[in-house]
Order: sequence, then C-alpha cells, then structure tokens
Amino acid sequence: MHILLADDDEDDCLFFKEAFEDIKIKTNLRIVNDGVELMNYLTRTGIKLPHILFLDLNMPRKSGLDCLVEIKSMKHLRDIPIAIYSTSASEADIEDTFVKGANIYIKKPGDFGALKKTLEQIVTINWQYHTSGLNKEHFLLSI
Amino acid sequence: MKLYVKFNVTATCKKVLQEQLDKFQLKYDLLGFNEVEINEDISPAGMKKIVDGFSQYGIEIIDRPKNLLIQKIKDAITELVYMEDRLPVVKISTYLSEKLGYGYGYISNLFSEVTFTSIENYIILQKTERAKQLIITNGLTITEIAWKLNYSSVAHFSNQFKSATGLTPTAFQRIINKRREALINVEID
Amino acid sequence: MKLKWVSKAFFIKGLFVLSLFLLIFISSISYKHITSLTESTQLLVHSYKIQIELEQLMSYMKEAETGQRGFIISHDTVFLEPYKSAHERVNGSFLILKYLTAEQKEQQPNLDSLLHLLNYRFELLETSLVLAVNAEMNHNELDLNLRRGRDVMDLLRMQVNKINEVEMGYFKLHQRKYEHEIFFTPIIAFLLLMFTLMVFTFSFIKINRDLVVLIKSNKQLIIKTESINHAEIIGEFCTTQWDPETHRYAFSDNLYRMLGVEPQSFEPTIENYIKFVHPEDRKTVEESYEQTTKENKINPLSYRIIRKDGELRYFRSRGKAVSEGQRNITHIGIIKDVTQMHLNSIELEERNHALEQSIKELESFNRIASHDLQEPLRKIQTFISRISEKEALTLSDSGKEYFEKILTSVTRMRVLIDDLLLFSRTTKTEKVFEPADLNQLLENALQELSHDIEEKNAVFFIPKLPVLNVIAFQIQQLFMNLIGNSLKYSKPGISPKIRIECKKVMAQENPILKPLNHNAFYKISVIDNGLGFEQEYAENIFNLFQRLHHEKEFPGSGIGLSICKKIVENHSGFITAEGIPGIGSSMHIFLPK
Repeated sequence: MHILLADDDEDDCLFFKEAFEDIKIKTNLRIVNDGVELMNYLTRTGIKLPHILFLDLNMPRKSGLDCLVEIKSMKHLRDIPIAIYSTSASEADIEDTFVKGANIYIKKPGDFGALKKTLEQIVTINWQYHTSGLNKEHFLLSI
Repeated sequence: MKLYVKFNVTATCKKVLQEQLDKFQLKYDLLGFNEVEINEDISPAGMKKIVDGFSQYGIEIIDRPKNLLIQKIKDAITELVYMEDRLPVVKISTYLSEKLGYGYGYISNLFSEVTFTSIENYIILQKTERAKQLIITNGLTITEIAWKLNYSSVAHFSNQFKSATGLTPTAFQRIINKRREALINVEID
Repeated sequence: MKLKWVSKAFFIKGLFVLSLFLLIFISSISYKHITSLTESTQLLVHSYKIQIELEQLMSYMKEAETGQRGFIISHDTVFLEPYKSAHERVNGSFLILKYLTAEQKEQQPNLDSLLHLLNYRFELLETSLVLAVNAEMNHNELDLNLRRGRDVMDLLRMQVNKINEVEMGYFKLHQRKYEHEIFFTPIIAFLLLMFTLMVFTFSFIKINRDLVVLIKSNKQLIIKTESINHAEIIGEFCTTQWDPETHRYAFSDNLYRMLGVEPQSFEPTIENYIKFVHPEDRKTVEESYEQTTKENKINPLSYRIIRKDGELRYFRSRGKAVSEGQRNITHIGIIKDVTQMHLNSIELEERNHALEQSIKELESFNRIASHDLQEPLRKIQTFISRISEKEALTLSDSGKEYFEKILTSVTRMRVLIDDLLLFSRTTKTEKVFEPADLNQLLENALQELSHDIEEKNAVFFIPKLPVLNVIAFQIQQLFMNLIGNSLKYSKPGISPKIRIECKKVMAQENPILKPLNHNAFYKISVIDNGLGFEQEYAENIFNLFQRLHHEKEFPGSGIGLSICKKIVENHSGFITAEGIPGIGSSMHIFLPK
C-alpha cells in the first residue's frame, strides 16, 4: 500500500514513520513537506498514485485546505482517499473539511500508542473499501 | 432534476457478466451468483482480453479457492444486510455456517487471516454502509433506520455508527447534504 | 376636493350666464313696453292734433261766417278782410288735415266729403256776399242762401264729428291692442324680477359662505406656513418650489439661512444656488436639475455645500412632483442639512471598524495561541509516551511514575487550553440567529453522547420543544453540556433518568427575568436523579473553572457550565440551577420567545 504524507513538522513526520513501521499491513511511505511540493508531486506524470494521502492543514506556502480543494477538483486525483491530519479544530471546522471533500479527519493524538492504533484502523478500513467494492464517496471517518 | 437510484447489485452484475461474455462470443453457463462454466478452451491472450474486459467493471477472476470462500462469506453478509425488509434476528454464526457448509470457527479464522478483520467487524462495516445509504436517501428517520437494521435502540445505533465512523448519523447526513449543495452551486457557477 | 372646485366654477359661471340672459330678456320686454307706450302716446297726440285742427277749421269757418254776416249787415268792406284771411286759413287747415291723415285710407273719403262741403259753403258765402252787394237785394235769395249756409254748416259739423269719431275709433282700437299687449308684461317682468332677485340672493349667500371658508383656509394656511417655517429652522431643513410652467424657483427663507446668508438675499435661481455647492459636486447637482426640469424625475441627492462663512456642510435633498390630473403643477423639494448625522455616522463607522479589527485580531490570536500552545504540549505527550514504551525496560519504577505524572499534567493543560478556546469561541459576533428546531438540536446532542448514554443505560423523557431563533450549534452545545453533566454526575450503579421539561413563562411572574427586556420566555429544564449538589453553590458553579468535585473523582476543567451561561446570555436568556444532594439536580434555562 502506497501512503503519502504531507506535513511540515519534522517531529510529526518522525512519529508517523515510526508508527507505520509497527503496523502489520505492508505499507510504502512517502513524505512531502509543504503544499506546493505536494501538488507538484501529484501532478507529475507517470507516478504511482498513493492509496491514501495524509494531509496536515497547517503548512507553509499552500495550506492543507487549499490542497484538499484542488485535489478534489482534479479528475484523476479525485478518487484518492484523503485523511486530514490536524492538531486542533472545532466541530464546525471538522465538518467543513468533510464538506470540502476530506474522507478522514484525524485529530493528532498525544499518545504514540493511540496514533499507531488510529493509523492501523484507517489503513484497514481503507483496504476494506478497496477490496469489498464499497462506495468511496461515503467513506467518512472522524477520529 | 434529482433521481434517487437503488441498485439491485445481483441483477446488474449478472447482466454485465453476460454482456462481457457475449462480446467474446463464448459459450458459457452461469452457475449461481459468481460461477461461470465456459464450454470451450481459451488461449492466454484470449484470457487476457477477458480479464481486461472484466476489469473495466471491477470484475475479478478469483483463482484461489480460499479467496473464493472469502468472497462467498462477504456476499452472504452483504445479502443479509441489504435485505429489503427488516433484518432478520439470526445468530450470524449459525447462518453463515449453514449457508456455506463449513464450521463457523473455520470460517471466522480464515476470514481474519485473509482480510485482517473479524467477521463481526465486517458485519458492522456493512451495516454502517447500509445505514449511510439509507440516511442519504432521506426517506427514513434515524429511529426508523435503527429499527430496520435491527438495533435495540436509537442510542445503540448512534453509538455503533459513531464508533465506526467517528460521526453521528445526523452529522453524516448534514455533511453529505452540504456536499451536494456545494456541487449544485459549482454547477450553477 | 378637485371636483368640488371645478363644479363650483361651472356652477357660478352657469349662474352668471343665466342671470345675464334673464336681464337681457327683461330688458327686451321693457324696451318693447316702452316703445308701445311711446307709440300710443304719439297716436293720441296725432288724434288730438286732428281734432284740434278740425276745431280750428270750424272756427275759421265761423270767422268767415262772421265776416260775411258783418258785411251783409254793415256793407263795410272791413269785414271782408277777416273773411278772406279765414278762407285762407281754412284752406291751410285743410292741407294740414290732409297731411295728418295721409296714411289713413279710411279717412280719405271723409276728407273728400269735407272738402266738398267746405267748397260748397264758400261758394254759398261768396254768393251771399255778391247778393249783399247787389242793391236790389232779393231778401228771399239771401234768406235761402243763409239757410242753405246754415245746413251746410251743420253738415260740416257732422262731417267733422264723423272724422273725429273715425279718429277716435282708431285710437280706441290701438288702445285696446296696446292694453292687450301690456297686460301680461308687467306680471312676467315682475315674476322674472323676483326670480332674478332670488338667484342673486342665493348666489350672494353661496359666495359669502365660500368666502368664509376661504378666509378660514387662508388663516389655516398662514398658521401652517408659519409652523413650517419654524419647523424648517428647528429641523435644519428647507423647502423649494419649482413651477414647471414659468420655470421659476421659490426658495423658503431657511434655505438662505442654511447657506449662511439673509433670507431672500439673492434671486432664487439654480445658478445662484450652485455657487454655494462644493466644486466637486456641482456637476451632480446640475445633472439632477436637468433631470428634474426636463424629464420630471426627481431623485434623492447628496452633496456638499460651502456656506458663506466658508464652513463645509452636507446636504441631502429629495423631491416630489405635485400634480393635478395629468399636469404637474409644481415640484416640491426638501433639502436637509445632514452634516451632524454624516459626521456621526462616519465616526460610528470608524469605531465599528476599529472594533471589528480588534475582535478579528483577538479571535485569530486566540486560535493561533491555542494551536501554538497545543503543539509543544502534544509533542511532549507523544515523546513521553514514546519513551515510556521504548525505554520501558531501562526505566526505574519511580522514573515511570514521574513520567506518568508529567503526562497527566500535560494532558490537563491541553484540556484546559481546549476548553478556554471553546469558551472564547462562544461569542455572539458574526454568528447568525436562525429559526432552528430545538427537538433536532436535542436529538443531535443525544447522538453525540450516545456512547455514555448506552454505557450508563440512561433513560430520557423528552417533550416537544419549540422552534426558536437561535445560533443552532451553540444551543446544541448547551444541551450537550447539560445532559453530559447529568450523565457524568449520575449515581454510580443507578441508571440515570433525565427528564426534560418545557413551558412558557411571563416576565412579570418571574422577577429574575425583568432586566432582560422581553415579555415571554420558554423555560427548559433538565432534571436528573444524579448526585445533586448543595444549593448554596448554585450560583458558584457557573463561574469559570469552578468545580465542586475533585479532579480525581470526576474529570473536567470546570468550564462546561460557564460556557452554558455564556451561550444563554448570547441569546438574551437566563440560567439557574437547583440541587439537592443525593436526590438530583435541576438546570433551568430561560430563552426568550
């Protein structure tokens, strides 16, 4: 499974990587550090599109929300499940990101174990959607 | 104009399968839901064409018996969850083992091994998906949906939905509606 | 009003024309009467003239006789002179008679007879004179002559009488005709006169009455005009009138005062007015004038003027065309000095703007601060949990314990920051009040709490709630906090029974609601059978960070009820609490209808 992470915070990227290493399902992780880099990568021809994209909202240059809207507007990128990964947000903001097209919303947990569990859950469910032919448009998950 | 559509998955898939096979002018018999007996030999190249043709529709040829069984389990569960009427009160272990002709222990172990989830979790997943479908078609209240899907109470239903998706049923409904509105606005613009 | 005046005008004109006709009619009748009278008089005179002339004729005849007699008796030629002159006179008289009766055909044969008789008589007289001169006077012939003369005189007399009679006959005939004619005339004239008098009287009364009304209207008009003038001065506005026919303006006195000059100190023209308009706004004013005068469109207009003393003022003008039927009879304009309002609103705008700015800054400060505060804390949490996991074997027990405590503190701090952020977000600014179904909001809240509800087997009694104008998600949060509290502080081991009640209350009955400036409220109560609390803390619990239980017993930052209070206050409502330890608590919220 190909996973793409867009986050500017070094420490968070480290946590993410270490968490994925502990997960049973085979995953292939790639990291970008800001919105512009992300869009450039995704729009390059010939790349293998990720199975899930984890997107931090607070990034320099281009914010996560802008990337989200842009990706959902592109036909060939629209079907990638996108997980928004953010520190804090009000219920209203969470709902807003879902409305804008996000499939998953993750509030960054403080406990490493919780992070592992969350990522595992996401990957598993995503795989279920993939293999059981479930409707990806209804794929909404808030953790 | 808005149309709300419901899919009779079985009929649709069967039709597609038949159309695809007819395209290749093959002599075949349909045995049950997902077995096809092709009454002639096919070359590897021909096979590839069939596979390509199938893949457009998301149809895969299962070539391992294990996967076949898994698929049967999934189909049985799907059939159960997507019943028109209220879901029957039935012990899932008995139902599956009777339907598929294997012991429940064997079935559930195999399922977890291959899919990395338990059957219970898969059932919850499918029920949640059906709930989402029912919520979106806007015809029923949350209470009615809970009853239809055989939950003991609305709270139980909300709870399970919330643990599965992280959102309450009404929040889910709200989000989908707002997404629709946004799409309509984009089209108008 | 219009019709009345129009018909009045017609009425008066009609009346006048009628009166005129009547007068002319009466005059013509009078004229006719007078001419008839004159005619009669003339005829009378005529008749008498004839009579006199006839008498005259007779008398001349007698003179002739007298002369004849004298001569016969005295044979003196002196007597021949009167005889001759009398003869001439008779002829003269007869000529006059002939002239007088020239038009009377009837009389002609009579006159002929008369002439014949006269001639015969003179013949006889001549004969008698000749006989008398003759010495051999035949007394018998003379006798005969004289006697014949006597008879002819009688005949003459008879003829004269006859002529007179005929004349009288004429006269009487005419008189009868005349009397006949003038019989009705006075009556008719009299009647018409009466009628005309009535009409005149009636008109007089009406006109008088109208005059009274007019005077009264005038008086009112004067009073109204005076009060308008005063109103203009006090209200700092003025009026203009523009006549579409003469293309002339009239400016009220206050216009001049508003421009800083003496009333009526210059001609009321658009050119003179524009001299006072601010140079940048002159074009706008001119264009508006063009529109008004040419297209009869009067649009509201704002512009600046510079008073005579150099002060800048802001004017706003509006106008209206006053019309009668299809025609515009005048354009009325009102100009108001809005300088104070303008300056006030600018000031207000600036202050609002500044306030909005500072609110926005505060809000973004809040958001950023909480986010930036959370990040390091979260990292501390994560790294510590990482260490605990990875270095579990190398850490001592006390080391592990200390890390636990660090984690606890950090967690508490994170919760605190989140709650503070939530509290600061519970504002009223930039939030929309919309009608929302409270039943739906309650249901949403229950779904959000479904985990605890199921875990504790909570039972709810819910009435029908109204639809109110609220900030939907805040009310939902309110329900969540209150019901969440009821669930949290439930008696251990006993399933929570939570009853929600709703009823209408009036402000008069509840003194606590008085200062809220609303008449009617909905009182929504959340009543539970949980642990309850001491009533003396009833007001305390709404304070920020105020808790009645220890952190270890029940988790929480103490901000939930403060948020509830803030939400209720945002909606101009009120919240109170009642508690009985060991029995349960009741939370009452009052929301205006």
